[in-house]
Amino acid sequence: MKILVPTKRVPDTDQKIRVRDDRQGVDIEHLPFVINPFDAIALEEAIRIGEQRDSVEVLAVGIGTALYEAELRTALAMGADRALLVEVEDYDDSRGGLDPWNVACLLREIVQREHPDLVLMGKQAVDDDAGQVAQFLAALLDWPQATCASAVEIHPEGLRVARETDSGIETIETSLPAVISTDLRLNEPRYASLPSILKSRKKPIERIPLADLGLEQEPRIEILEMEAVSARRSCQFAGDVDQLVEFLRQDTEATEE
Amino acid sequence: MAGTSQQAADVVVIGGGVAGLSTAMQLATRGASVIVVERDRLGNGSSGRAAGLLGQLRGTTAATRMLMDGVEIVQELERQADVEIFVQTGSLRIAETSERAQEIVDLVEMGKSIDFEIDHLDNEQVAEFLPYMKTDDLLDACYCPTDGHLQPAELVSAYIKVGRSNGVEYRTDSPCQGLVMESGRVTGVKTSGGTIHAPAVINAGGPWSYLLAGMAEATLPTAALGHVYLTTRPDDNNPVDRLSPAIRDRHLRLYARPESGGLIVGMYGEDTVEVDMETLPEDFDMSALKARPDDLHLAMLIDAAEKRFPWINPRTPMTVTMGIMTFTPDGKPFCGTMPDLEGLYHCSGFSGHGIVQSPAIGVIMADLVLEGSTSYDIEAIEADRYFEMPGFQQRSDIKNRCYQMQASYYGKVEGGNQPADES
Repeated sequence: MKILVPTKRVPDTDQKIRVRDDRQGVDIEHLPFVINPFDAIALEEAIRIGEQRDSVEVLAVGIGTALYEAELRTALAMGADRALLVEVEDYDDSRGGLDPWNVACLLREIVQREHPDLVLMGKQAVDDDAGQVAQFLAALLDWPQATCASAVEIHPEGLRVARETDSGIETIETSLPAVISTDLRLNEPRYASLPSILKSRKKPIERIPLADLGLEQEPRIEILEMEAVSARRSCQFAGDVDQLVEFLRQDTEATEE
Repeated sequence: MAGTSQQAADVVVIGGGVAGLSTAMQLATRGASVIVVERDRLGNGSSGRAAGLLGQLRGTTAATRMLMDGVEIVQELERQADVEIFVQTGSLRIAETSERAQEIVDLVEMGKSIDFEIDHLDNEQVAEFLPYMKTDDLLDACYCPTDGHLQPAELVSAYIKVGRSNGVEYRTDSPCQGLVMESGRVTGVKTSGGTIHAPAVINAGGPWSYLLAGMAEATLPTAALGHVYLTTRPDDNNPVDRLSPAIRDRHLRLYARPESGGLIVGMYGEDTVEVDMETLPEDFDMSALKARPDDLHLAMLIDAAEKRFPWINPRTPMTVTMGIMTFTPDGKPFCGTMPDLEGLYHCSGFSGHGIVQSPAIGVIMADLVLEGSTSYDIEAIEADRYFEMPGFQQRSDIKNRCYQMQASYYGKVEGGNQPADES
């Protein structure tokens, strides 16, 4: 069984994110990057499936510049067997990279080259929170999809996936191949063990220039301007309801009807 | 606060970590007017990420006295601030090699010679104390019932509470932008909120302290080194009683203590990460430091932890805490002034022991500022002990020496009855 785990390299969300003065991106100087936390959960799930079953190959995929190798190395240290970097020359981490449609088109090419049985990926990336790639990809491949997975079970006929919805847990069954996107509570990604880190240094990272995939990028989203939300939040005690209403009015600039 | 306002105080303390907060509290208690300026939030640097282990028995009587007095100061603080700071769990040192076993024999002998409560324990007794620890490979162990740890967050809030009630003013988000110099002495601190004039300025900047000293063209031989520890989440199969003893395993270079139903395990490894504080962004927030899943130091820590606590592995639910420690070439802090610069009192370089040293250090600093001397034996921690000493002036030399000191924590095996001064 081959599991393909597409990942995105994103700024660590625990850090202070600053918008550049030109409002055209975030300031990435000093900013540590990580594997998108939802993708790390997908990776952990793929590794666990590999630990429970025989002959599973976990392939981590990244799209970006050569800088991405550090995060793919992390994926290999956690337990991925191989890593593949689609190199995009003008990829801009400070602006969230490619838009979801182009990422999905690109991943379709990778799927058609690698023939995985399962694509496991985060339900969204925490930089742009688009949450579209898994669905686009499943549609492009005409594969079944299970989004927001909180439990994944592989059985001889296919997959059983528990999905977290606003109204409770929905369990669905599907055949393979399929696309699964992972939610927060599926698992807790591991730290890499010392032997695994040492072993990962010998694992291959394959690099494919975007041009070699024969794909033209067709941006569907234009970022006009970025703006920081107010960094300082303050707390005030409202003495009574009238005062609370007054606070809310000030904050929202609402007027009395 | 007007941008250009000028204010005055008897003492300005730069740095709102435990060293600065304790000093400010002691000064204010004795009637001085004190302003603390902190670049971020109070207790948000290494003070907020410390394990706080208190092992009172040290290589020298001066150091031991400081820590034992510290416990009394903390007990008084607990009464005043109505919080539990000191958790008396007792501490256990274990040995799995003959060299380490000899260290324990020496330590017990030394402790008994000064009437400190300490004794050997056999493996069965150790296993009874610590059912979650591997004990079948131990050659010896010793137990100090009066040790434990100080809870860093509670200590910080107690210093602030008592300090505030004695009139200390705390200014957060107020990085020191420069020192005011007048005829060769420091007379104030520049901040975005204006210049504060004071005849005495305390440099309690922790990892930043060498940069603050540099503002007055003084050389403070400290270096900033990364440190990492893990805290396991509570696990029904391996319950960790909140009063189970702290553990020091010098062979594996580990320390451990209970925390919120889980276990803190940290390591003083042979190598560490050097941090050049001048390269960090102005708004660097230590609490946002995070370990990569493939962090080599963390992997080494987990690997060593697994040898002593076999239920810990890379998949154990845990929180990883990263911080920056301020080391000195001999692992002892710098307290006091330099010969050629009046008005600037250093209080930094606690080399991983700031929490437990801070109670007595506050008294010592207040003594030095207000009386010019102290009844404590501070020869080993005076700020000028490397003053103009060749080999301790260039950053590269200083970093190298501090790095070596950190590496030797838990590392060296010494003969005689002088245990290395580690936590």
